Amino acid sequence: MEILRGIVDNYYYMVAIILFVIGMYTMLTHSNMIKKVIAMNIMDASVFLMFVAVGYAHGSQAPIIREGAEVLYANPLPGALILTGIVVAVSVTAYALSLVVKIYRYYDTCDYDEICEIRSQE
Amino acid sequence: MGLSDHYPALIVVIFFIAAFLSPLLYRWARRISAALIISALIAALAMVIALMVEVQHTGTVYYHMGGWAPPWGIEFKADSLRLYMLLVVISVSLWIFVFALRDLQHELKKRVIGWYYTLYALLVGSMSGIVLTNDLFNLFVLMEICAISACAIISIKEDRECLEASFKYLILSAMGTGCFLLGVVMLYMVTGYLNYGFLHVELAEAFNIYPRNIFTAAALFIVAFGTKAALFPLHVWLPDAHASAPSPSSAMLSGVVIKIYAFALFLMFYEVFPRALLESIPLNEIILWLAALGTLFGSIYAMMQSDLKKMLAFSSIGQIAYIFMGIGLHHDSALVGGFYHIMVHAVTKAMLFMAAGVIIYSTGVREIKDLAGVGRVLPITMIAFTIGSASMVGIPGTGGLISKWYLAISALEIGRPVFVLVILASSLLNAVYYMPIVINAFMQQEDFKKEAKSVPRIMLACLVIGMLFIVVSGFYTTPVVTLLQENFSVYF
Repeated sequence: MEILRGIVDNYYYMVAIILFVIGMYTMLTHSNMIKKVIAMNIMDASVFLMFVAVGYAHGSQAPIIREGAEVLYANPLPGALILTGIVVAVSVTAYALSLVVKIYRYYDTCDYDEICEIRSQE
Repeated sequence: MGLSDHYPALIVVIFFIAAFLSPLLYRWARRISAALIISALIAALAMVIALMVEVQHTGTVYYHMGGWAPPWGIEFKADSLRLYMLLVVISVSLWIFVFALRDLQHELKKRVIGWYYTLYALLVGSMSGIVLTNDLFNLFVLMEICAISACAIISIKEDRECLEASFKYLILSAMGTGCFLLGVVMLYMVTGYLNYGFLHVELAEAFNIYPRNIFTAAALFIVAFGTKAALFPLHVWLPDAHASAPSPSSAMLSGVVIKIYAFALFLMFYEVFPRALLESIPLNEIILWLAALGTLFGSIYAMMQSDLKKMLAFSSIGQIAYIFMGIGLHHDSALVGGFYHIMVHAVTKAMLFMAAGVIIYSTGVREIKDLAGVGRVLPITMIAFTIGSASMVGIPGTGGLISKWYLAISALEIGRPVFVLVILASSLLNAVYYMPIVINAFMQQEDFKKEAKSVPRIMLACLVIGMLFIVVSGFYTTPVVTLLQENFSVYF
């Protein structure tokens, strides 16, 4: 019961973990390279989601200090870190896609299984 | 503050500056472009040595980025162990770069060479950062820079195998960094810190309240660094990537890059996770058995290869496993063996890839069976290959023996003689696939069939330096071993 309650209370962590597993599974099992890149992004996004969720407390506001107001602020550090993380993820995606384009020019396909077939015929 | 106070940051920054300037210079003033990277490497080397002297006198140096003290700011830490790693990384990179100057002209298109310099500088800079940083998120960013630039120095050759290999490498290392970041979230959730030192203190308390988070983080870290360092069952990307790359890239990737992640895992185990974690679940055992399997299977796979560079790549899987074995045995002289092997293997494997590069440069031969009699055409190259092979096998008089010796001694000391057998067996397996090449190259009666181009002197000079180092590291071990022992006695 306690575990179940923990899961319900922290559903946003569960969503992040489910997304992470979906991303990782797709990335490792699908043969289509574009799908691999998309899955990589899903995986990264899930981690970012989780990181941002860690910084949030119930009822807290954006961490912009206003004079005199006694409010609870969300932790700004995860947000700042994730901004960096997103930039990194974008650059990895861009590089991965450029590789897919180059591979497509050689084989006329983005499918890894088909590429293996073409290579085995040579 | 004088300039010398900023050395820890400058070691990293100087490479990034050089990386951005080099393609510009390559366009307008081609000759200076390579000189720029070399001077950046030499300057960084000088700074590492200056820091080493300072650390000897005053103890560990901490550097706060932008003057923000931890836990909020990013901290760089320079102790003698990290400086030792930096010394290995930067001096080996410098050595490989000198070799690359001539080799690249024949392996790459002319217009991309300037970009290759950029990627090379980014790679060295990010590796120095990984060694120096004391902050988990900073480590993540540097790991991604390292991953992209490591993939890019493979794919820059732009033939089909390179592109496929680097895509595979990129996907698996993205999985690694994804797992790593999730592990970081787990630790941040329970402590609120990212700094290694603060985490170490805080996790010891948090371990009693939230053990599950910390177990998960440990598992994720092993997967993350295991993938990136090619620990045995996670090694699938390595052979293609290291074999298809241009020879200097192979030397760099096999020699230096994979070890950085082994070092990062070591830091996680000994400087981040609490001692109680290692005592409560057998993390070390897992690493140890995977490493033992890795040393055997790496060699067995290597035996089945017909391509010279592919064989060297598989041999790297076996050799990196020795380093993990040093971490897994959890004993100070095992760590000495593991870290000595980082240095020896960095030089040896880089030199073997260089030798393979020279053979390809001069004769175009990649298949092992075509190498018969090549020793008479390329004597210096094949002597270098022989000494490198001897060090891989662990023949007395080479550095490879010393690291295996320390590993075996500590396996006996903690009462696990089975690992001595593993080390012996894998050494014999190494001999099985290295020695036939050497014997064929020199003893074969028939002459070498293909024509051989003359090899530039600077490439041969690089090989000679490597040979000398391997022999010296086999005899003159005291300074490095005492340095390592001083560092590891803290943990036990």
